[in-house]
Amino acid sequence: MANDNLQIKAISAHPGAVASGASPESSYEVCKLIDTTTCIGCKACEVACLEWNGYEFRETTFDNTYQTMPDTEWNYWNLIRFSEREKDDGTGLEWLMRKDQCMHCADPGCLAACPADGAIVQYENGIVDFNQEHCIGCQYCVTGCPFNIPRLNPSTKTVFKCSLCSDRVGAGLEPACVKSCPTGCLHFGSKEDMKFEAEKRSKQLQANGFPDAGVYDPAGVGGTHVIYVLHDAKNPEKYSGLPKNPTIPIMVTLWKHPLKWLGNIGMIFGIAGVLTHYLRVGPKDVKQEAKR
Amino acid sequence: MSTNTTALTEGSVTASGEIVRYSYKERLCHWTNGVTYFFCLCTGLAFYSPYLYWLSAVGGGPVSARMLHPWIGVFFYLAVVWMHTMWKQQMTSIPEDQQWKDKIKDYVENNDSALPPQGRFNAGQKLFYWVMYYGALSLLITGILMWFPEKWRSLHWLMTIVIPLHAVAALFTIGAFIIHLYMGILMVTGGLSGITTGTVSKEWAQHHHRLWYDKIKQGK
Amino acid sequence: MTNGWIDIKNTDMMLIMGGNPAENHPCGFKWPIEAKRVRNAKMIVVDPRFTRTASVADHFVQIRAGSDIAFLGGIVNYALQNNRINKEYVVNYTNAALIVQEGFKLPDNIDGVFSGYDPVAMTYKNASWNYEEGGDLTPKGAVPIAAVASTLVKPPAAKPAAGAAHAAPAAKPAKMAKPVAKPAAGATPPAIIASLPANTAYDLSLTHPRCVYQLLKQHFSRYTPEMVASITGAKADAFTKAADMYTSVRKDGDTKKVGTIIYSVGWTQHTVGAQIIRTAAIIQLLLGNVGRAGGGVNALRGHSNIQGATDMAGIWDNLPGYLKVPVPADTTLDAYLARITLKSAKPKEWDSFNYWSNTPKFAVSLLKALYGDKATPENEFAFHYLPKADRKYSWVEIWDGMYNGKVKGLMAWGMNGVAIGPNSQKNIDALKKADWLVVCDIYPEETSSFWEMSKEDEQKKIMTSVYRLPGAGFAEKDGTFVNSARWLKWKYAALPTPGDAKLDHEILARIFLKVQELYKKEGGKFPDPILNVSWAYNNRNVPSFTEMAKEINGKALADLKDANTGQEIKTGQQVPGFAWLKDDGSTSCANWLYAGSWTEAGSQAQRRGLDDPGGLGTYPSYAWSWPANRRVLYNRASCNIDGKPWDPDRRQVWWNDGTQRWAGNDVPDIKVDAHPKDHMGPFIMTPEGMGRLFVPLGGMADGPFPEHYEPMESPTDNLFHPKQANNPVVKKYKTDKDKYAVTGSKGGEFDVVCTTYRLTEHYHYWTKNNPANVQLVPEPFIEISEDMANDRGIKGGDKLKVSSARGEYYGKAMVTKRIKSLMINNKKVYPIGIPIHWAYKGIREDKEDKATSLNLRPLNNLSPVAIDPNAYTPEFKGFLVKVEKA
Repeated sequence: MANDNLQIKAISAHPGAVASGASPESSYEVCKLIDTTTCIGCKACEVACLEWNGYEFRETTFDNTYQTMPDTEWNYWNLIRFSEREKDDGTGLEWLMRKDQCMHCADPGCLAACPADGAIVQYENGIVDFNQEHCIGCQYCVTGCPFNIPRLNPSTKTVFKCSLCSDRVGAGLEPACVKSCPTGCLHFGSKEDMKFEAEKRSKQLQANGFPDAGVYDPAGVGGTHVIYVLHDAKNPEKYSGLPKNPTIPIMVTLWKHPLKWLGNIGMIFGIAGVLTHYLRVGPKDVKQEAKR
Repeated sequence: MSTNTTALTEGSVTASGEIVRYSYKERLCHWTNGVTYFFCLCTGLAFYSPYLYWLSAVGGGPVSARMLHPWIGVFFYLAVVWMHTMWKQQMTSIPEDQQWKDKIKDYVENNDSALPPQGRFNAGQKLFYWVMYYGALSLLITGILMWFPEKWRSLHWLMTIVIPLHAVAALFTIGAFIIHLYMGILMVTGGLSGITTGTVSKEWAQHHHRLWYDKIKQGK
Repeated sequence: MTNGWIDIKNTDMMLIMGGNPAENHPCGFKWPIEAKRVRNAKMIVVDPRFTRTASVADHFVQIRAGSDIAFLGGIVNYALQNNRINKEYVVNYTNAALIVQEGFKLPDNIDGVFSGYDPVAMTYKNASWNYEEGGDLTPKGAVPIAAVASTLVKPPAAKPAAGAAHAAPAAKPAKMAKPVAKPAAGATPPAIIASLPANTAYDLSLTHPRCVYQLLKQHFSRYTPEMVASITGAKADAFTKAADMYTSVRKDGDTKKVGTIIYSVGWTQHTVGAQIIRTAAIIQLLLGNVGRAGGGVNALRGHSNIQGATDMAGIWDNLPGYLKVPVPADTTLDAYLARITLKSAKPKEWDSFNYWSNTPKFAVSLLKALYGDKATPENEFAFHYLPKADRKYSWVEIWDGMYNGKVKGLMAWGMNGVAIGPNSQKNIDALKKADWLVVCDIYPEETSSFWEMSKEDEQKKIMTSVYRLPGAGFAEKDGTFVNSARWLKWKYAALPTPGDAKLDHEILARIFLKVQELYKKEGGKFPDPILNVSWAYNNRNVPSFTEMAKEINGKALADLKDANTGQEIKTGQQVPGFAWLKDDGSTSCANWLYAGSWTEAGSQAQRRGLDDPGGLGTYPSYAWSWPANRRVLYNRASCNIDGKPWDPDRRQVWWNDGTQRWAGNDVPDIKVDAHPKDHMGPFIMTPEGMGRLFVPLGGMADGPFPEHYEPMESPTDNLFHPKQANNPVVKKYKTDKDKYAVTGSKGGEFDVVCTTYRLTEHYHYWTKNNPANVQLVPEPFIEISEDMANDRGIKGGDKLKVSSARGEYYGKAMVTKRIKSLMINNKKVYPIGIPIHWAYKGIREDKEDKATSLNLRPLNNLSPVAIDPNAYTPEFKGFLVKVEKA
């Protein structure tokens, strides 16, 4: 696999040090920029994703929308979500189309929550990748993810999500969705460059009738390696429920840090306690007692 | 009296003068609980901490451990229910329990003579029982929610609570379990045979469970 | 497109109407996006529904399907009333200043028709649509259009013949002998056709009451915002905002900014289709946007090579290169050439290139390509081998003829006549009457399975023999695609043909050679055109694309020498361009427009150079663009009359005083040494050399100016002239299958305006066979507005039955905010929209029981047989239906 070239930054549930990838290259952080203001919802990215990753096409049914299906699936990682609504200022309609997929958080909740050693890795370039051969199917990642992204394959009981085409990126190519995008609403490059482009575009939008335009790169998860330009960055929820301030759920953080340490300490002290008790007091010997 | 321990009834006295502490059914039930709990403990701990991931070997490796854990968990809970049908009455609190609890320090210090006489189960055993009983119930409820997260995907907040709750419930049972194990194997000598072959010595019964012993004698 | 896809990035303002490029041209749509992103260009979308394109637009206006001329006419009026025009351009580059004959009348004066209407024949006698003979009628002392008067230089009177002298190698009358083949018996001599005056009268002050400008102003003054609102259903302020935005490129006398108009079949598929485009052209001429980078009138072609098909005689009355098909009255080649070769008509002080004066060279070279050595001066270059069109043979006429028993067989190649319609059931019934049907396609589609929708006992009565031939898909062929930007781009086969499939032209060649063999054996009434066809290919069964491409480009049949440059080409060499073509039989060329595409330097269409002088995305060495590798047509008009670019930042071509020639980053579209002082018009394909605000004589069948006529089926009276609701020259068809709804205020049960379109997820009727596309949009649906849904108790997903006077269609309801009810003439009208893609052949469709399933009707069961009189395009885009829950 070409993603063997990528240097590893973090591994889920991994005791000890993280072995870095073999690549001599120093990797920079990559980023996919999705400019929703120029997306036309053509779904080329959906098909490209399916074809590159070798998943089969499936039967769908009409559901009063242009959206292919209600939700992403374990083998359908990339879905354009359509939402039509009257503008808040009453000046007409907006038909919002948002490409939904893994956001590749800098601080990935899935990885934090994952109990399986090596099932989730984060590369130095920011890609968060699932290794199904190590996945145990517990779906803690689903709980850890503030974007509701990971999906279980019910037959293999392993979880899947967008890999940001780590296999292509490792070989120096852009992700398949970006390659297929006809309008150029998708861009791929270094996080720095994409951030610059996105800021530039939102400034332009701000000057042209979209005062609330902005970049979606939520700090709550340490920033993401998939960022959006939104016409209305103040209300990301209207883009089919993009969370406003996504963070790793507080309970997951509590569970993974203080609670876990409390538990560990408790267990160690428990064992140590009973053993010292044995040494100090010893067993209850009925015969001895009777003699006494 | 046959040597077949399956025929022993609780509270009877064997030919050799041993007192039957646990019937076959009780022992079977206990060990069903014990084995299923131990399995869930090991596999659960594997998913609890990366440093205990090796414990998943108990379940045949991480993948099968994760697959078996909920099933065995359900068996564990069923075993708890079974036990409950047998011991529910005997595990309810009696006035002597409070006296015992007041003297817990003496119990811990092996100053047993200071302790009030106890029935078949002392207050500590009862406490352990109820910790495991409610622990199992919590583990079941949280465990089932964790088993099928895709079914309640929209209740994401619930899942974030459920997983730590499962861990907390498990930690409580682990604490209790450590003590149970210690006492059963190391601390209360002479008692282990009660849960294995079923019988204990008269002395042991008299010493640890005077009320129970007296009742047996009266019955005799 | 007058311009090209990439060129859209140069624009400041886009009006996208009658097209939905985001949906249907998503790859090309990157350029409108680029214009928005890089130039901050504005995008206005006008459509019957809020489309994918509208979702990224700056301003959207919903109009009623079929009311486009009213909307665009309103913009013309707005531009004229608010002085949002480029006056220098209008006076010098359009026919605004030319005087129209007395006797010409506008429809406002005669019940909604132009002068010359014959209500019985339903045609125009268009003699009054002509210019007045004469000279300069500019009033003495009048203050002419400011910019013009100061710069206009009239050439000395000693150069009256300038036009003739400059016209590229003047057409020498070819030596012609008596015709060999007899003209068809009973053929009448060519009718005397009124011609344009060579020396037209004009008024540069544009004040003469009969000058084109004043007539135009008068005609469109009726298109007020209120009228536009009442006809189209758009809100008056939304219309005005659109008009103001679009014409803002000429605000305060600005001549630098540019606007482009982008359209597609949403305009053409109306009974007034060609006139809608004319209205757009008028806007662009008034604003001075034609010929400029980022401007133009841009038709987005709907299929990957439909432009190529059109260039190569896709329309029945064309020969390759838009030469006219002969008619029986053309008894000799001379008569034919005299009829189709235009003579220049202009103010005598000005010049006109009148490039169509070269028609004889193109026509004779075509005959030489078709018949080779068998085309000789003695037999009028085999002119009489060409079929002479005795009547109309357009698409719907073929089906009408078959339905009436006149057409006995059909070869359907790469199209699906039943699904395409209009009135699919009529087409199905027509095929039942045919003797035979040959279909060459890559899937077993609806046409070759037309009987499947009949019950079993009915099927037994169908006696048509159907032959299915396995053709090749586009990825299995080499050859060129011609895109909307007129680029010929060579492509390479990606896959071999599967199974028994063969390249389409191999199938055609084999059939032809078989037919030829039969003619050879059995003779026939007139075997010569078949026997004498030039078929000089290495492999006669499978001519190579290279050979054909070279044949189309043309070659010298004798040694040729350019008198001016001394350049020579030898016998057998490829011609470098159409300027080399001759009318004496010394060149052959199968399509003059493509001359230059495969020269001695090789295939120009295979070039992939990425140099872009000027940075306007011209890419002159990437592929090849007709004509003459010119990327923007009429680009002379990108300069003012002095030959300087209107916008120095977007320099396309310019007059170079040093070399005394036109130079540029693009190929100049003007005679290369035509000094600006000679005032040669930039619109070299018209006899005037000018852009036509007014189309004289027979240029348009239905009027010299566009006028709003209702679609054949409309929910309202014509607000301009209730007595003349529809296009006066559009006829209804008369078979029992051709039913039309009662319209206007008398209208009845059919009261919903239906429009039809494609989806980006599907490609016509093919992709029902492809799991990827079926997954993206699985089944037929009907888009309706929320208030209509409320009114009729319809919920999203409900099965609906849509019926027209002709047939029925079923699908699920998509209740959407993107379509809204409209107030038309104070009456609430519900519009609906239906994608075209489904019928009865495909992955899902083949699983259903065809005799009973309602889902499988072709959408064009609904559409009427009513066609545009100029382009013969059926009216798919606006007709009446009723909607019920099924």
